[in-house]
Amino acid sequence: MGKEECKTMLDALNKVTACYRHLVIALGSTSDSQNLREELKRTRKKAQELAVANRTKLTSLLKDKTISKEDRAEYERLWVLFSSSMDLLEVDMKRSLEIGQDFPLKVPTRHLIQTGMTGSTTTVAARAMSVQNMKYEADSNIDTADLRDLQTEITQVTQMVEEMEMKVQVAPWAVEAKQEAGAELKSNMSVGNSSVGVISMCEEEPKEEEGGGGSGGSSLAPVCAVFVFLVIIMVAAVLGYLVINMS
Amino acid sequence: MTIRTARPNRGQHFRPRIHCVKKVEAIVVEMQDPSSGVKGSEQKLNVTTIPHVIAGKDIIAWIVNKMKTTTEEGEVFGTMLVAYGYIYPLQNHRKLVMCNDDTLYRFQTPYFWPTQKWFAEDCDYAIYLAKRNIRKKGMLEPYEQVHYNQLHDWLNHKWDFIVMQATEQYKAVKDRKKPDRVVFDCQERAYWIVNRPPRRTHSAMDCGPERLLDPNTEEKITFDQHRRMNIFFQQTIMRSRVKSSVSLGALVKYITTYKNHDPFLAPCLPSNPWLTDNDEYWKLNMRRVDVPTKMRVERWSFSLFELLRDLRGRDDFKVFLKKEFSGENLAFWEAAEELKLGSSSSMTSKAETIFKTFLAPGAPRWINIDGRTMGLTVKGLDHPHRYVLEAAQTHVFLLMKKDTFFRYLKSPVYKEIQKNAQSPGGHNFSPDQLEQNARNRSLGIHPIVLWQQEEEANAKAAAASAPVDVKAMMSKIDRKK
Repeated sequence: MGKEECKTMLDALNKVTACYRHLVIALGSTSDSQNLREELKRTRKKAQELAVANRTKLTSLLKDKTISKEDRAEYERLWVLFSSSMDLLEVDMKRSLEIGQDFPLKVPTRHLIQTGMTGSTTTVAARAMSVQNMKYEADSNIDTADLRDLQTEITQVTQMVEEMEMKVQVAPWAVEAKQEAGAELKSNMSVGNSSVGVISMCEEEPKEEEGGGGSGGSSLAPVCAVFVFLVIIMVAAVLGYLVINMS
Repeated sequence: MTIRTARPNRGQHFRPRIHCVKKVEAIVVEMQDPSSGVKGSEQKLNVTTIPHVIAGKDIIAWIVNKMKTTTEEGEVFGTMLVAYGYIYPLQNHRKLVMCNDDTLYRFQTPYFWPTQKWFAEDCDYAIYLAKRNIRKKGMLEPYEQVHYNQLHDWLNHKWDFIVMQATEQYKAVKDRKKPDRVVFDCQERAYWIVNRPPRRTHSAMDCGPERLLDPNTEEKITFDQHRRMNIFFQQTIMRSRVKSSVSLGALVKYITTYKNHDPFLAPCLPSNPWLTDNDEYWKLNMRRVDVPTKMRVERWSFSLFELLRDLRGRDDFKVFLKKEFSGENLAFWEAAEELKLGSSSSMTSKAETIFKTFLAPGAPRWINIDGRTMGLTVKGLDHPHRYVLEAAQTHVFLLMKKDTFFRYLKSPVYKEIQKNAQSPGGHNFSPDQLEQNARNRSLGIHPIVLWQQEEEANAKAAAASAPVDVKAMMSKIDRKK
């Protein structure tokens, strides 16, 4: 149904926006690099594709006069989600342009800010592009060429958002949210298998719990994994035995 | 019909006081130079090691060296860098100062630097608070919880988006390595402490109203603008001027009289409510307080204008005039004020009553103004407008100022009030008490309640001062007989 498609597409756009913001935050710092610029470019392109797809879908749904009132309210809610995502994306793109211009990579005398982040952002970008591993193929003048592209893309996005404002008549303030305060705590966050429980950031918060085995609920997943592993080993052993028997 | 939402055109709102940031950014970038910049070291936290940590004294030494200034100036400059958010402290993260010792700091990433164009939006803050809520499993700091609830009210229509975006951003960070995650959290927290400071944290992001013009662009003045500027300046030259000795003398006189009454220059007793969150000062200086403060009474003696402007002083003056049986001047002045500042629908009726009470020959409260003014006023009352009584009002004001005001200042009424006026001692709050005061801030009296009190008091006064009905008085006396 149209609604489900919309929701999945909006989820994807949301994910890409979040990852894009994370990547832009790393610009200009010591974790900046050629790869980061390329990741930014590809994430941006993906975001734009998703945005265009979302927009066509949602506008077609909203233009339909025959839908019921609840459906219309639901589509308006999705529209508000979409336009807020686009706002964030637009701001992040403009900021990445500014910061990219201020911190060019190939100039020998410009220094990157030593923020303490030294790792790479490949995992975030892979998450955004929904691939397992990122492959980097950019050439060395990515910063200058990329910035020109970025400027054109920014104008496209701005135009798109303005068009959206003019053509679609949705009052954002009239939308009622479905989530109540504190809803994010109940969303299925697998807080268990990460060590971001309460990590010690500075001397002020000295307690450090490796939340590795922390949240008791998801102890099922490792057990299943072990079970599957054993099954595979057994199958491999059986096949090996057969092969040895046959030869 | 299209709905044009107030979508902020974020490129156009420039905040004026932060156009120094470009120069500060240049200095911060210079600090990064591996050879001549500030030397960083590593921070060890249990098992992780995080690089690029700098000590406060190193930063200040570098600033002093680079700018060739004293250590105090270097400290102030360092504190400015922290207050703007270019460098953030690692240990005492709420106190945005640069200490000249081994306290550790780190540089902030350029995305979180203060900029002239990009405002820290409420929507982003809401997303940050939601993320923090997830991290802390619902245990936000009290000021954060208050903000969270407020934002949930104001941004309710976007709340789904905020929750979704917060969960996604939270998941995106999880994939990175541990030191990077720690640094990322520290950075974001420092950014929001600078932009939404908790109580008693002094960040530098307090700026004035937004402008719609970029203060950095050079303005081209057109020919027409030049022409108009010329005309303006020529007219200015032809204006009559006061000698500077005279105007400066007046200024000096004003300063010497009012200098003790200015809460910026002299301590405002008992304590300035804006600073200590204790509103006793306002309570003592309310409209209908029985015993006014000494400062207030002193202020009445400065000029008739001050006396009449303070409504409590006006009441006192009325009491004095009633004793002297010369209250009609003040009553006329008040009626004229009401006409000037009141609604235009009631103007004709007010003008009628004023004429009947004060100006008609043989009126019950006839005021004594000279013939010419009286003639003008009566003629003007045929077609009443707001300022028809202006001439008469000024005349009456001058009469009061030259004669009655000085008699009032020497009268026993005033001397009595002066003697009984209270002068409260100063408060001396400790930081804990200040926190307590801040938490106990009340909303004060509702303006509608105050207005009702005013109306009641006015009605009572009107009834009391209505012209005595002679017939009723006579019949009462007859009945007594």
